[in-house]
Amino acid sequence: MTKKEHVKPVEKTGAKTIEKPVAKPQEKQESIDTTRQAVPFNTGNIPGPKTARAVMPAVSGKMLAKAKRPLLIVGSEVHDKDVLARAVAIGKTGVQIAAVGNAYKSLGDKGLDVHYMNMHALATYLCDPNWKGLDGKGNYDLAVFFGITYYYMSQAISALKNFSNIKVISIDKYYHPNADMSFGNLKKDVFIAALDEVIAQLTKTG
Amino acid sequence: MIVKKGSFVIEGLENVQINIGKVGADEEQIAEGPTPRPEIISLRNWDYRILDRYAPVYTPTSDLCDYCTYGKCDLTGNKEGACGIDLEGQSARQALMTSVMGSACHTAHGRHLLNYLIKKYGEDHQIDVGPSNLKAPLTETIMGIQPQTIGDFLPVLDYVEEQLTQLIAAANTGQEGAARDFESKALHAGMLDLLGMEVADIIQISCLGLPKSDEKTPMAEIGMGILDPKKPVVICVGHNIAAPAYILDYMDGNGLFDKIEIAGLCCTAHDMTRYNKASKIIGSMSKELKYIRSGIPDVLVTDEQCVRADILKEAQKLHIPVIATNEKITYGLPDRSNDSVDAIIDDLVSGKQAGVLLLDFEKIGELVPKLAMKIGPIRKAKGITALPDEEEFKKLVAKCTKCLQCTRDCPQGLPIADAMVAAVNGDLAPFEILHDKCVGCGRCDYSCPVDIPVLNVIEKAAQRVIREEKGKVRIGRGQIGDPEIREEGRNLVLGTTPGVLAFVGCGNYPDGTKDVYDIVEEMIQRSYIIISSGCAAMDIGMYKDKEGKTLYERYPGRFIKGNLLNTGSCVSNAHIAATTIKVASIFAGRKTKGNWEEIADYVLNRVGAVGIAWGAYSQKAFAIGTGCNRLGIPVVVGPHGTKYRRAFIGKPYRKEDWNVMDGRDGSVVNVEPAPEHLMITAETKDEVMPLLAKLCFRPSDNSLGRAIKLTHYIELCEKYLKKMPDDWHVYVRSEADLPVAKREQLLKLLEEKGWKIDWEKKKITEGPLRKVDVSFQPTNVPRLCKEAKK
Repeated sequence: MTKKEHVKPVEKTGAKTIEKPVAKPQEKQESIDTTRQAVPFNTGNIPGPKTARAVMPAVSGKMLAKAKRPLLIVGSEVHDKDVLARAVAIGKTGVQIAAVGNAYKSLGDKGLDVHYMNMHALATYLCDPNWKGLDGKGNYDLAVFFGITYYYMSQAISALKNFSNIKVISIDKYYHPNADMSFGNLKKDVFIAALDEVIAQLTKTG
Repeated sequence: MIVKKGSFVIEGLENVQINIGKVGADEEQIAEGPTPRPEIISLRNWDYRILDRYAPVYTPTSDLCDYCTYGKCDLTGNKEGACGIDLEGQSARQALMTSVMGSACHTAHGRHLLNYLIKKYGEDHQIDVGPSNLKAPLTETIMGIQPQTIGDFLPVLDYVEEQLTQLIAAANTGQEGAARDFESKALHAGMLDLLGMEVADIIQISCLGLPKSDEKTPMAEIGMGILDPKKPVVICVGHNIAAPAYILDYMDGNGLFDKIEIAGLCCTAHDMTRYNKASKIIGSMSKELKYIRSGIPDVLVTDEQCVRADILKEAQKLHIPVIATNEKITYGLPDRSNDSVDAIIDDLVSGKQAGVLLLDFEKIGELVPKLAMKIGPIRKAKGITALPDEEEFKKLVAKCTKCLQCTRDCPQGLPIADAMVAAVNGDLAPFEILHDKCVGCGRCDYSCPVDIPVLNVIEKAAQRVIREEKGKVRIGRGQIGDPEIREEGRNLVLGTTPGVLAFVGCGNYPDGTKDVYDIVEEMIQRSYIIISSGCAAMDIGMYKDKEGKTLYERYPGRFIKGNLLNTGSCVSNAHIAATTIKVASIFAGRKTKGNWEEIADYVLNRVGAVGIAWGAYSQKAFAIGTGCNRLGIPVVVGPHGTKYRRAFIGKPYRKEDWNVMDGRDGSVVNVEPAPEHLMITAETKDEVMPLLAKLCFRPSDNSLGRAIKLTHYIELCEKYLKKMPDDWHVYVRSEADLPVAKREQLLKLLEEKGWKIDWEKKKITEGPLRKVDVSFQPTNVPRLCKEAKK
């Protein structure tokens, strides 16, 4: 978090607080800072004393790469072409995808290991250690997600936070307090760049 | 003469006085089932059967408990708090309290009406709901009695009120501790809610001349653009018809409908049109703040439920007097019930008082039109409105710093800043789109750091579409009559009508009101029976096809496939649930009185009815849904429904959860997951349509019915999710269950899944979970099996 000294002072509002660092030293431009603005995107979405640790993309990427049985969950906000391309890229590395909401209609024809699932039901099943997963091979040890209606996903993962042992990482555009780890609130270009860094970790490890 | 209650003296026997209190139970009043007037644990076994299959899923909004002074306690990770309750228990307790709150709301509404109507019409006023022998299905099934007069509902509400007190007591710290029993109690509260609603609607139908099972009620106008703002405008807000009825009577009696515009917001609007078809509907609660801020209303009349807490504050800014007419919502206003109408009008017109509490209906009836006639011209001359003019509008949108704070505070996360940017460049289209998606809560106003009145800006920018907002709603019909059930019941139970979809609840839609129209249009074209009520019924009528017709104008209102019904206001939801009881009684001959478990078991296994509350926001909607769940009716809510914090989601992969008994011999049969869930959410309309189709499957479907349901499930998945459903084969019991048009193709797919197909005979020889058995009597209740009865 030493990078904070290179960032413009935080102002009250969302967009201003997620501006890119100014006068950033050349050697530190490789990684973008996704730990800024780690406050619930919906102002009132404050669950309690335990909230997600704000992390850099490399951390999320490494967690995803090292997980034995990860699941990527994407939802109805995946249809944007930039976002979709990143979901496909992660899927191409072999990570299984749960397409919740109406995400399947953009992902179904991409040659991925992708399954339609209702998010509320998925959260329920992920809490059940006896569930055999979307492919019958067992439950998951890590759930990673992005591109889902914010408040809907926040509620769904509150079940996982409180009633399961599965690690939950948000690599979404928004800070999700109910995850174990999350990016802060990001502008779209930063969000896309962060996803690219996650993908870079996957391909590096894979 | 029949005297039911009171004292009388027989001529010649003057020394003898005969007092009649309650008439003893006659044949019709004898309960037929084991649980008349069920106490809070009488139906626990049934609840456990439901909860075993559809385990509660908790999605807490808060990981804390702060109900008592031990706390706040951190329950994160399902820890226990100081009193010993864990997060699961606390979440279930919240489900109970939410359900009780909603149930109390409807029941108190019913109590208010019952006391008033008995005072006006007497206890012996006959119940008249239309062509039905089963006049009060929920009352019969829960209470074990068949009410004949409105006075017969007095013990019904006594019972509900007593039960609700017991239930809320269980929520106190140091009382109930098990999540499972909190849920059983929440289900009890939900059932009581259905009962309270039934009482409320039956008595108003019976006494106030509301439509009685009328499939051809006239159309009412709806929309923010329907009123003539040049005339004095009276807007009634809430749910209780008692006060608005007097206003309508006064206007009718004095020929004022041409001189004054009168309309309702939220369910009061439905009941006003049911009472007098000259009345109009502005829309759901989402329109409330927007319409007030337009400055068009000259008088606001509030009763109860879904009235904004800031209505007086908002109205006061625009010099719109508020007449509060119900004890439950009084806003600190002075009670002027004993003052003269003229004196009150003087104080309101002069601005000496911003509003009054007025509990005398006669005075309300006279005062409101007179007040509107007096204050209307004054307000209109001043052109009072909260909306900015063109110049102000330009300055306001230019002030936006695009900080996104409004988006972060918006329940729908709307891209308001983008619309501001477009407006600066003269493009109002993004704001016009936002207007439909906006729920009109006004949180954006508070969040703006540069004090832009965001909601006013949205409304100002959307004036073009608001002016064109003119739809039609078929006026609420009340119950479904017995003859309609006789005609359609068989199709429903066998599955040849693919299902009944009940569109109910409020306007907190995830992506605007148009979604509801789109979903209804798709499903009605597929011959589902669509029943609607409340705000959902309003929003269905807000859109038109290319020929300028609303769905209500395109589809008739009979209870048969491919029809669109509006039962009426929120409390008429009871009739939707009660329809399933009527099917069990009229079609299947099941005994109803005091027989909840058997009826609910029948509904769960045989009646393909599903509730959808796409924009549910209130505790009342939760209670309605929970009551339906106890009756065996699955409910789907929109994504905001996860904030109710509890759902009932089935696990199809747990085969043991899907065992039912065959009522003929008690043998256990492993069936397909039908219905798969009892309460669940969906993220988008694309997702919800196949889900609705799927939740209409029932174990009792015959092959023709199953093939029809499967057709729609597969087609809706392919159309909206671009895929075959993963589990379609689970619902196939034989080749006869397959849609005829796709039979060959589906047989090939089944073969790929490892099923054995006799291609010569085009028959499935191996693979299905079970065979079709037309005599199968699925039940989850052991005592209902013939062996057990012996």
